Amino acid sequence: MLIFDQLKKNDPQLRLLTWIVLGGMGLLLVGLWYVQVISYRQYAENQKAQSFRTVRIPAIRGKILDRHGVPLAENQPSYNISLYLEELREQFREEWRRTRPAGRVPRSVRLSLEGQARYRVVSNIVLQLGAALQQPVGVGFEQFLRHYTNQLALPLPVLSGITPAQLARFQEQPGNPPGLDLEVQPQRHYPLRTTAAHVVGYMVRDDSSAQDEDAFFNYRLPDYRGRVGIEGAFDHELRGRAGVKSVLVNNLGYRQSENIWTPAEPGDNVHLTLDVRIQQEAEHALHSALPNARGAAVVMDPNTGDLLALASAPAYDPNQFIPRISPEDWARLSDENLKPQRNRATQETYAPGSIFKVLIAMAALENGLDPQRLFTVEPDPARPNKGCIFVGRRKIEDTAPPGQYDFRRGFIRSSNAYFITNGLRAGVENIIRLGQKLRLGERCGLPTFQDSPGILPSLRRVRAGWFDGDTANLCIGQGELAVTPLQMAVMVAAIANGGKVLTPRLVERLEPQEPALAGTGRSFPPAQVREELGVSTRTLQLIRDAMLADVEDRDEGTGRLAAVPGLRICAKTGTAQITDEANKVVDHTTWFASYAPYDNPRYVVLVMVESGISGTYTCAPVARKIYEALLRLESEPRSRGPILAGKW
Amino acid sequence: MVMLPLGQERQSKLDWLMVAALAGLLVCGVVFIYSATMANEAAGFTPWYNQLFIRQIFWCVLGVVAGGLVCLPDYQRLARWSYVAYWVTVVLLVVVLVMGAKVYGARRWIDLGPFKLQPSEFAKIAFILALGNFLSRPVDELRRPLLFWKALGLLALPFGLILREPDLGSALIFLPVGLAMMFAAGVPVRYLRQLLTGAGLVVGLILVDVLFAPPNWQIKLEEYQRRRLLVYFGLDGAPRGASPAERAEARRKQRDYSYNVDQALISVGSGGLLGRGWCRGTQNALGYLPRAVAHNDFIFSVIAEEKGFMGSVTVVALYSVVLFTGIRIAGQARDRLGKLLAVGIVTMLFSHVFINIGMNIRLMPVTGVPLPLLSYGGSSVLCSLIAAGILQNVSLHRRAY
Repeated sequence: MLIFDQLKKNDPQLRLLTWIVLGGMGLLLVGLWYVQVISYRQYAENQKAQSFRTVRIPAIRGKILDRHGVPLAENQPSYNISLYLEELREQFREEWRRTRPAGRVPRSVRLSLEGQARYRVVSNIVLQLGAALQQPVGVGFEQFLRHYTNQLALPLPVLSGITPAQLARFQEQPGNPPGLDLEVQPQRHYPLRTTAAHVVGYMVRDDSSAQDEDAFFNYRLPDYRGRVGIEGAFDHELRGRAGVKSVLVNNLGYRQSENIWTPAEPGDNVHLTLDVRIQQEAEHALHSALPNARGAAVVMDPNTGDLLALASAPAYDPNQFIPRISPEDWARLSDENLKPQRNRATQETYAPGSIFKVLIAMAALENGLDPQRLFTVEPDPARPNKGCIFVGRRKIEDTAPPGQYDFRRGFIRSSNAYFITNGLRAGVENIIRLGQKLRLGERCGLPTFQDSPGILPSLRRVRAGWFDGDTANLCIGQGELAVTPLQMAVMVAAIANGGKVLTPRLVERLEPQEPALAGTGRSFPPAQVREELGVSTRTLQLIRDAMLADVEDRDEGTGRLAAVPGLRICAKTGTAQITDEANKVVDHTTWFASYAPYDNPRYVVLVMVESGISGTYTCAPVARKIYEALLRLESEPRSRGPILAGKW
Repeated sequence: MVMLPLGQERQSKLDWLMVAALAGLLVCGVVFIYSATMANEAAGFTPWYNQLFIRQIFWCVLGVVAGGLVCLPDYQRLARWSYVAYWVTVVLLVVVLVMGAKVYGARRWIDLGPFKLQPSEFAKIAFILALGNFLSRPVDELRRPLLFWKALGLLALPFGLILREPDLGSALIFLPVGLAMMFAAGVPVRYLRQLLTGAGLVVGLILVDVLFAPPNWQIKLEEYQRRRLLVYFGLDGAPRGASPAERAEARRKQRDYSYNVDQALISVGSGGLLGRGWCRGTQNALGYLPRAVAHNDFIFSVIAEEKGFMGSVTVVALYSVVLFTGIRIAGQARDRLGKLLAVGIVTMLFSHVFINIGMNIRLMPVTGVPLPLLSYGGSSVLCSLIAAGILQNVSLHRRAY
């Protein structure tokens, strides 16, 4: 062989040379083997790391639909014009060649001058675009520089959300400046604007990775995260899975090519139990209560617990958060008095006032109150035409006149004296137990992050340091007690459906966006009973009759303003006092708790208005409007036409 | 040409094995220079006759003709002209120092209009011829110290001139070549040992001085040379007691410089066993491997990335064939002159190959040494082919008639 012949030859010098060459070539081979075969993976990864940029592409967010499929939140295409910088490299070079200063310049100066040359090219193109679109467009120097340094592999966004007219102009332009291209991005849109805004919630800009995604990306395209409401509660499901795009870049960082590694998987649609038409009617009615009304309205199916409307006023427009809420809008949404972000139906708690007498009535009737027995309300010495009651040394005023009261009259006149006397007779522990069965002081189980538990004293609390005066307060829905309108709706539903305390249902089902996968989503069953009230049918019937009388008794019923011809409505009104530290009444929370029809309950309607005059005069008319609308909607066939936003 | 008797045919003819290996290397060179330069977008705009692979083909043809011409006269007649060649190249080396084209702070080329001449390449050939001629005298004479010093002087003159350009890599090639030829000629080993120890000591001192001494004690080395050494030894080069900011700055500079080396290593490593395929090397196409050097000093990393370990082995094997056939020619040479010439040329080629490929896998520091026959460059290809021609000459004229 070639090599061994040399080694055998009797020539020591050439033999040594052969050995050296052999050793050298062997060393190279070993080195190459080590680098190319043993350490291949490491270098391949290094190579990939320096030449690939990964981009996170958000998935198309699921829609939020009402029970009939009317969208409350959807995506609409937003047309953006972007500038692909890698197509301008020739122009950058040209501009630099044209404007470079003669002679040598220090590196830092040269870099900055080169940056300015590039900016001039970009700025020119953007100006031409502005002229073509007949709209001033500008890219700031700082913005350009930041993009050039940090995101060179991505196109530079020049103009987002262009109008259809501009879109047409841009596309009909024969010679668009080079590098400009049109991009379509889905953008969240709330077609009904403020309708059910609190339930829908809103989104904030958040490009970060979800838990089960890759944590590292070189770049992220804009994405949003639901903060509250359904957007927040089902953020994970709505969001889907973000995809990954890889961009191959050259040593200067310009884009060479790109391909999609993992496509984004669209999120699920959320079907709500809400009926947009009822929701809009409820909101409309609520707004009619007072100028700048603050309040809530709940429409619920007492048999299934389905929430048909969950209105809160004032509302906001979730579109304001896209792409980013302005500081002025944010200040408006943070108003201390109006609190437009709070969902008053489920998130704010209030003293229930007289509508709590429904619960007191149950406790008293279950504990031996004879509904026929007459009770005498004594006249108030200070106001002889009104009654009053003394608990200990404290006088509690009554809005009912002095005279003889049985259960029905006590209920429809909402006599404080009657209910305090009988509540004390039933005992506070029985009242608390009943409250616990109604799950007062606990969250209703809504997923929207807007669910407040409210306050109900515990049995331990009432066994020590508790006085009759405190019980008297509970009997008229005041004192250590706070409820949400939704909790009261659940209470009324329990009366209407025969004693079942339901979990209100807001979400009917989740369904994949692709029609092929329809039916594979998760659904939430209706009529989830949290607790049986364990109250006798007789008691419930007595209360139902009394509630019916509250509306139908033309002379004395406090709820008579809610009466709707052709619908037998059962109701209880309430006006809770809000006192300041000096125990002076400063404001009222007015209530109307009702269901209808009397003999086959289909709707619970609960209205709460802050700073109203009284349940009778402020809330009952609101409820009447809602019932009228419900009747009308039942009779008219569901139209598939568009639902108009912002009727008010 | 003289008609050779049939029986003599085997003994005196071209070494076809080497010719085949050389041809293989030349083809590889052109093919991968194409790959290294065509990825560059600007290359598309250059006229075809200015494209580097076309120019390389031209140089190859020219080189083959030159190599063939070198084969025609007996190498002994060539050797008679060796001192002339030697002094001509020395003059050229002086000329290049005075009026050479300055590229990256070094004067290495003489601009001749359509192409640039790199005298250091030709100096290597002339030096081998001259030293071979000088050492081919009877072995006894070589014991004389004066002769040894003269031989050293022969080496030192071009070495010093090339070092002044500065071109450390090319200059360093002279050392192993001179050493190997003296050794093969039979210069007493003790001289060589002394020379080796001396050189080792000087190089060691220089290294220590460059790497660790305080700035004003350091010998004046070009900044880029110092940096290359620092990169090779992985030091940042900040003086002792430098502030963190200074140290960070030094680190940054060092990182910038080590960029070439790192990218070459990534290219070679990411080639893996089979490579990405011809013209598919991303390192080169995306410009991570600097475009200015991908087709010449770093052509090996382009081959290694695109053809993987198999490609590297092929290249190393082709070089091995050239080198070992060269040693065989040295062994079969008719006289000491032939043997010395062959040894010198083999050593020169081997040094180039080892330093260049070693640099790609971080076995050697970065020195601008081309890979013979593969790297783009007229002077380099021409001289490598002339060197191969001399080897063939020795092979052809191995019998005296």
